[in-house]
Amino acid sequence: MDFALPEQTITLGQNARKFAQAELSADIAQRDKRGAVDTADWRPLWDACANYGLLGLALPKALGGGGHDIQTTVHILQELGYGAPDGGLTLGLGAQIWSMQMPILEFGTEAQKADILPKLISGDMICAHAVTESHSGSDAMALTTRATKVDGGYVLNGEKVYIGMAPACDLAFVFATVNPDHGAWGVSAFLVEATSDGFIRKDQTQKMGTRTLPFGALEFVDCFVPDTAVLGKIGAGNAIFNRSLEWERRFIFTSQVGAMARMLDDCVSFAKTRDVFGGPIHTHQSVSNRLADMKLRLETAQLMLWRAAWEADQGAWDMARAAATKLHISEAYLASAMDAMRNFGARGYMEDAEIARNMRDALGGITYGGTSDIQRQIISAALIRS
Amino acid sequence: MSTPKHTIDPAELTRFVSDKLLGGRAIAADEELLLSGLVDSLGVMSLVAHIEDVTGAPVPMQDVILENFATINAIADYVGARA
Repeated sequence: MDFALPEQTITLGQNARKFAQAELSADIAQRDKRGAVDTADWRPLWDACANYGLLGLALPKALGGGGHDIQTTVHILQELGYGAPDGGLTLGLGAQIWSMQMPILEFGTEAQKADILPKLISGDMICAHAVTESHSGSDAMALTTRATKVDGGYVLNGEKVYIGMAPACDLAFVFATVNPDHGAWGVSAFLVEATSDGFIRKDQTQKMGTRTLPFGALEFVDCFVPDTAVLGKIGAGNAIFNRSLEWERRFIFTSQVGAMARMLDDCVSFAKTRDVFGGPIHTHQSVSNRLADMKLRLETAQLMLWRAAWEADQGAWDMARAAATKLHISEAYLASAMDAMRNFGARGYMEDAEIARNMRDALGGITYGGTSDIQRQIISAALIRS
Repeated sequence: MSTPKHTIDPAELTRFVSDKLLGGRAIAADEELLLSGLVDSLGVMSLVAHIEDVTGAPVPMQDVILENFATINAIADYVGARA
């Protein structure tokens, strides 16, 4: 077992951190407050990331990607998260990279991959993951959006909610049922262009965290999609969804592990310079214990992320371990964000404070990609069956 | 590396499903597994991993559809058809 990263990977990570600090950090408190309503608040940053090559890191060079393995990709995105105090942007990037592009790479036809992936990598096209409906959150495959077979394709009808990039997407990765009587096994996946008739991007919805990421709902009203828009086989939607989720649960928090490292460094610096009762606060055991706990969470989150990356490079899959990775990192991120709030006291509670923004960003993590309750259910079910 | 197998014994598969996925409940080779709710998504992934172990050949995720996994007989037919 070798935990030493190759020199080249370390350099790529250092460069990504510098890029994020220089290009993705400006005006973050105000952008967060404005809530990604104005395209000018987030699109230039997305384009900068695309130009830097971040969206295509793990995709083949032949499609415009970087051709990196998953371990290298994860290290670069983690360093990006250290440098970028913009949790909405890094969440949006992570979602497209892991939950959308990787399934398109695996399940797409050669024509779909050649047409779509280069545009997603370059930033010319942005994809939204349209699965959740107002009555099918954790039970995602209880969805009711209908795909009705017609000559040459399908007609979609239904509404999807709680979608990152929905107000701004050019493409939606849509799950719809072709046979409601078959439950999850009647679901299929479609790649639907936003220019299609009946594709409706609803108004932006505001959320308490990751506010720099556009967010909202999509509606499909008699929206025709050609047969060539089906991703994978008809009826394979459940399998595609599970694979998409496994990518997401392993790696959606990659940049947030970097953010945890940044939070810890900020807390250590503050603990050394903030004096109370005649000395720096790190001399008080309650504070030093919290720093130690934050370090422990960072280390364990890092190890789980590395193992997930190593497994992905081996082509190995394990739904329960993916659930454990997501559960641990999301809860660790939230717990450390809370500890940072306690360390910083009132100044961390200020509306514009980075500490407060981290806290609000971290809260979403225990819900998206499956709630912590659901992850525990998956882990437990696997244990019972083993 | 051993040569991938293109058959799977329905009786062995029946034992696996009964023992590992259904807590010992008896199951017939033509009994519906998915629409009945007997086997959930996690169970299907266990089944896929088992088939890969036994046959030595990967099961592409897009083959994990109702037609191929509805019953033990359907799974055996699917594995046989991959030859």
